[in-house]
Amino acid sequence: MPNQKALRALSLILAAALASASCTTQASRGEFFGRIEPPAGQVLRYISGSEPESLDPQMSSGQPEARIYMALYEGLVEYHPKTMKEMPAVAERWEVDEDNMEFVFFLRRDARFSNGDPIGAHDFVYTFRRGLAPELASRSAYMAYDIKYAQAYNEHAAFVRDPQTGRFVTAAEAAPPGGEGASVGTVADAVVPVKDLDALHREELSKRGEAAAPDTEFHKYIHSPTRLIVPGDAAAREKAAKDNPRLRALLAGKEFVPVRAEDIGVEAVDDYTLRVTLAQPAPYFVGMLAHQLFRVVPRRVIERHGVNWTRPENIACSGAFKLAVHKPYDQVVVERNPLYWDAKSVRLDRITFYPLEEQTTMLNLYKAGDVDAVYNHTVPAGWLKSGVRYAKDYMDAPECAIDYYMLNTKKPPLTDVRVRKALSYAIDRQALADYRVVYKPLYGFTPEGIFPGYPRVKGAEFNVEKARQLLAEAGYKDSSGKYDPSKFPVSEVELTYNTTESNRQVAEFVQAQWKQNLGITVPLNNMEWKTFLKARSNLEYKGVARGAWIGDYMDPYTFLSIFTSKEGGDNGTGWWDARYVQMLKDANRESDPARRYELLAKAEAYLMDAAPLIPLATNATNWMKKPYVKGMYPNPGTMHAWKFVYIETDRAKWDYGVPDLKSDQLALKE
Amino acid sequence: MFRFILRRLIVTVPMVLIVVSLTWGLIRLAPGNFYSGEKKLPAAIEKNIREKYGLDQPWYVQYGRMMRNILRLDFGNSLKYETESVNDILRRTLPVSAVLGICAYVLALVVGVAMGTLAALRQNSKLDYASMALAMLGISLPNFVLGPILVLVFALSLYWLPPARWGGFPSWTMVLPVVTLSAVYMAYIARLTRSGMLEVLRSDYIRTARAKGLKERDVVVRHALRGGLLPVVSFTGPALALLVAGTVVVERIFAMPGLGNYFINANLNRDEPLIIGIVAFISITILIFNLLVDIAYAFLDPRIRY
Repeated sequence: MPNQKALRALSLILAAALASASCTTQASRGEFFGRIEPPAGQVLRYISGSEPESLDPQMSSGQPEARIYMALYEGLVEYHPKTMKEMPAVAERWEVDEDNMEFVFFLRRDARFSNGDPIGAHDFVYTFRRGLAPELASRSAYMAYDIKYAQAYNEHAAFVRDPQTGRFVTAAEAAPPGGEGASVGTVADAVVPVKDLDALHREELSKRGEAAAPDTEFHKYIHSPTRLIVPGDAAAREKAAKDNPRLRALLAGKEFVPVRAEDIGVEAVDDYTLRVTLAQPAPYFVGMLAHQLFRVVPRRVIERHGVNWTRPENIACSGAFKLAVHKPYDQVVVERNPLYWDAKSVRLDRITFYPLEEQTTMLNLYKAGDVDAVYNHTVPAGWLKSGVRYAKDYMDAPECAIDYYMLNTKKPPLTDVRVRKALSYAIDRQALADYRVVYKPLYGFTPEGIFPGYPRVKGAEFNVEKARQLLAEAGYKDSSGKYDPSKFPVSEVELTYNTTESNRQVAEFVQAQWKQNLGITVPLNNMEWKTFLKARSNLEYKGVARGAWIGDYMDPYTFLSIFTSKEGGDNGTGWWDARYVQMLKDANRESDPARRYELLAKAEAYLMDAAPLIPLATNATNWMKKPYVKGMYPNPGTMHAWKFVYIETDRAKWDYGVPDLKSDQLALKE
Repeated sequence: MFRFILRRLIVTVPMVLIVVSLTWGLIRLAPGNFYSGEKKLPAAIEKNIREKYGLDQPWYVQYGRMMRNILRLDFGNSLKYETESVNDILRRTLPVSAVLGICAYVLALVVGVAMGTLAALRQNSKLDYASMALAMLGISLPNFVLGPILVLVFALSLYWLPPARWGGFPSWTMVLPVVTLSAVYMAYIARLTRSGMLEVLRSDYIRTARAKGLKERDVVVRHALRGGLLPVVSFTGPALALLVAGTVVVERIFAMPGLGNYFINANLNRDEPLIIGIVAFISITILIFNLLVDIAYAFLDPRIRY
């Protein structure tokens, strides 16, 4: 029949096309992936992730936005291109007091916005206050909660004042004898015992700060005994006082003064000296200041243009680049900012950010040579396995991000710590890492190879015997006392994850491990993203739920602090332990970094012993850049300080493989 | 005729309002919010956001505000992209989707009608079988398969065409998405034309035309096509509306800044004003296109009277 012939011909053509296409994927093995042609001139085309929600650095908390903000805005400090530790930016240097609670920053005098306005300490005071303003409703305001009274301001809370004497009630007065709780009804978690701190304050007031910057009226105020903070809303206040007679008595006949922007612990000592006072010790605080919430924004422009200040015709930038074009869902183009204080060492003339989320599409563009680099987690596993992982432009390094499974410790059978541990012991993480390619095995709760000097904590090895024994001890055994899978209540446990291809692969792998090693088949349950988030935070899931965490700053505390929140927060497991919280607090008050790491590692070991989670993997950076793009490194958060990036036309100086991350030295052009 | 059009236009208004109300309700039923993400926000920050965007008000106030916006045809600002109004987004993205859709449909129409007509004229010939096999392939290959195949061959193996991104109109970047988008319509049109033409070519008035000694070309082009294309016309209405909205997948594959891309993300982001705006816009488009098709019918087929 003739139409069969036609069909056969057609299918031949199709097959040939597919074969030729797959051949080209194979051919890249060992060399570079796709076309390598440096662009003419110092321009970079970069795929930055989803469309930026806003170009206002204080509005969006996302990473795709952060990558663009890093070009447009600068903070007191900048992420080091290799390690992501802090390095000087607008602040030339800083001094920290002994107990990690007060920071004095000395600003450079030549920093300017792209409209010519100088950048000084007052601009940072404005920026910090703006980021915390409840009216702005910034999603990352919580990043600044360590600053004294910052959370109270952001929460619309109030101080308590005696109308007769004008004296403010202190937190110490409201605290029950020997107890803790500097705030009432607002912050549920993690506040350092008030009494100790105030004693500390008075004691050290004389020697603190003045060495770095002079004492001022504000400084005296911020170091006066911590004031009592109550909800600004009368109904919430009454609710808090209802079953706290001590508080009720304190509040009677008092007036409530809303916490204002001017009350938070940020002070411009002079035009170029900024002093920040915290509510609790936070040795990691300077590292946080490279976050977008703290990058300096132009007050004059914002006050004139309101929400439209980020439009290209209005904007003033503090970074090495300024905004030229913004076409949503198409491109954001930034150009060299000639007024930037370090403009002479900025190499790129222009960066074009393409907002794109489809992995295949972006790698097609990369392969065709239409873009020079892509953001992290973008090479699909299938491509990696077909050879891309061996390409010399593939950027493979551990990341400050982990994948784990949360366990619902409030629902049997996972109320039993033995069952929780057994599920963890029964997973071969090395095999999982090999299978996924973009994983590195994880046995504790902090990513490995990210925090130099931090002791490795192992809480979950692969040990089937131990797992089965633990389950037998938990009561799932036959008459002879041996583990019996049929006794395990499989119907009470589910592996819940939000629907994505990679989550499904991991879930199926773990399911198979449990089947093979424990003889139980745990059902899988996938949910749409936002549905999943709700089920997880309300502990509505049965048994196991997928979790992932990306560090907010380069310190183990960004992971360990997840479990300081009792309810709400990101905990998601129902597990909370006052002793654990105390261990973390003690660690943060330690001024010796090595000793502090030891204490943190102890807390981590304690957490792993309680096993409210199953660690799975440290993520790999998993992205690509063309060899001619220099000064760009697979750092732990894929945050690139763009001023160090440049295009190298000399082939001999190209990157053949992952550039050296060990030395702090940056590849500066002669 | 005039009364018919008027009646249809009046019915359009309540229909759009019903669609929009249902959508509004569905958004409310879906869990999560435009601001929810992997990291849970502290309660106070969530409260600040809800106050800022009026989400703390009772549902009837929010519904009323939404309805007032719809009736004024001003959908307010997007929640996710707060500096942009929904109207701006529509104004900017619609041309992209429309250009893609219209080009794809014109291509589909030209190639499809030609293929279908030739197949009908040479029924049961090799040409007929080949074009119908091709049409079958076009119908059964979904565009999310066809698109990547075309990219693999033409962008990544031969390096002839750019693999993605929007380069304006006209530009080489349009070629692959337009072809991908038009394939299925081309296939349908070819099949519809073929069967329509086969039927018409056997009818009495064509025989009469031939008997009068008209040239074959005139018979086909002036007489047969007019009747043979009726099924294609009735297909055009919904197809055009779907094309404008349905560039979703293709815009995603080829990273086009069109309406479809926004629509997907608006839903994932729970961006209420944007979802409502796009849904209202698409339903109005579909209703109007259907009306236009009914009117076109009256002109093409003398037997139809309204």
